[in-house]
Amino acid sequence: MISANKLKTVLLFIFILMIEASAQTSAADQFNYAKKLFDEEKYFDAVTEFKRLLFFDKSDKYLFEANKFIGLSYKSGGKFSEALTYLTLTEINSKTKDDFFNSRIEIIKVNILRRTTSRALSLLDSLNNDYSFTDKKDEINYWLGWAYIFSDDWENASLSFSKINENHELKLLADSVSNELYNKTLAKILSVIIPGAGQIYTGEYFSGLLSFGWNVLWGYLTVQSFVDDRIFDGVMTGSFLWMRFYNGNLQNAEKFAEEKNLIVTNNALRYLQKEYSGNKP
Amino acid sequence: MRKYFILLIILNSIIIAQQDSIDFRSPENIKKFGDYLFCQGDYLRAVEEYKSVQNILRNDTVNFKMMLCYSNLGLYETSNDLYKETSWVSPFHNDIELLKIKNKLLEMPRSIQVFYDVPMDSVFSIGISKLNMTSRLYGEDIRISKSQFLSPFDEKENKAAASLYDLKTNPPYKSPALAGIMSAIIPGTGKMYSGEWADGITSFIVTGLMAFLAYDNFHAGHNTRGWIFTTLGTFFYGGNVYGSIAAAQIFNAKINFDIQDGIKLFLDHNNYFLPDYDFCK
Repeated sequence: MISANKLKTVLLFIFILMIEASAQTSAADQFNYAKKLFDEEKYFDAVTEFKRLLFFDKSDKYLFEANKFIGLSYKSGGKFSEALTYLTLTEINSKTKDDFFNSRIEIIKVNILRRTTSRALSLLDSLNNDYSFTDKKDEINYWLGWAYIFSDDWENASLSFSKINENHELKLLADSVSNELYNKTLAKILSVIIPGAGQIYTGEYFSGLLSFGWNVLWGYLTVQSFVDDRIFDGVMTGSFLWMRFYNGNLQNAEKFAEEKNLIVTNNALRYLQKEYSGNKP
Repeated sequence: MRKYFILLIILNSIIIAQQDSIDFRSPENIKKFGDYLFCQGDYLRAVEEYKSVQNILRNDTVNFKMMLCYSNLGLYETSNDLYKETSWVSPFHNDIELLKIKNKLLEMPRSIQVFYDVPMDSVFSIGISKLNMTSRLYGEDIRISKSQFLSPFDEKENKAAASLYDLKTNPPYKSPALAGIMSAIIPGTGKMYSGEWADGITSFIVTGLMAFLAYDNFHAGHNTRGWIFTTLGTFFYGGNVYGSIAAAQIFNAKINFDIQDGIKLFLDHNNYFLPDYDFCK
């Protein structure tokens, strides 16, 4: 039989050990806890807990994963600069070819989102020229297409998606946007030749006809003044009225083309954001 | 009993030897992690960490760092509210006094005159004097001589402080009334006086041209044209006088902005005369 005193000592001993053990958390538990917060979309807390893990865990075991999730959390919170910092750390700490590739793709996606598309394109170019990623051409072309979309270069976007599949959903979308877009230079040139023609080209018929009418009127009066030897009247009507309407007609043609193009691209982007079910940046 | 004690020590060392286990949430570790975040410039997370141990550690350094965090986050009132929780014997008491003034100035730039009646280190009393003096520049009237104003500043700060004093006491304002009168006498000169040379010359030419055309047409018996140019000339003349008054007012607003901006830059450059802390060294 154990005496009551001995029993008390043993229980006390177990209690102390339990307290000691429960206060300690393994790095794996901390990682899982942070990951759970990430999965629950509690990104602020997830970043804190991943940072805590990185600060205390000296084994460097979680350098890749923790930095990746910090980067993704910042990205989800719209903090793109911070996201890039941590995703770059992820890339630096990647141990396999696939990890490196995936980290770089994440960096590219952030660059696409924050519209630093020239950086995204140059990173995609570097992946494209790397022979170790020849089996990932489709993915590279896919994100190239997205980078071109965000650069408002729908023709190149279509070209990139067509390299994956001639009937790729995004290729068809890019083609349709590309066909709907108005050529600003053409609109302006048309208006240079025939005032109002640029507006008519962009579908603004009333404005085009009005512009044409004003230009014919003031042009006629200017010419008539010179024919009648009323040089002063000709100069005044020509410079203050005709030229003013002629320049206005050029500016209008360009403005209408820009406005119409903005509507077309915004509709396409809205579709991509709300209805497209494939991978998005 | 001794047997259990030895066993406790052995088991304890086994637990500690488990390198994977870390007490992530002991107050000391939370503080350490908070310090790390503070040095990383992640003030929002740092302050969250400090807050969670504030009541346990009762640490003046933690309190002061929290004030710094809030200040850096732009939460100046919250930062100053923490002052109440700091003891009078805190080694940071003087630093806090300076930080409080900094926060007040950042919250609303104005003339603040703090009289500190507690014996202080000379560094802090000079810092407070410098802040008092600089903040006077935000007021309507400085009411002290230049030598008095410059007395607390050292050689390095003297030049900038002196030029700010000069700018504040003798701002190179332009008189809107004078600008209006000048343009009424010779069109465009009021704008030139306010530094708008191109506008002034244009006003002079356009108003002059209209006046000449009106005179010439009346002289030639073209009364209708004469009246048209008289109306246009009057319109340009009135616009030129009004524009000159507005130009002088805009010029003065720019001077006021430059003064405010200069004070802010001077304070920022000198970190509001707060000493350098070695928290992150």
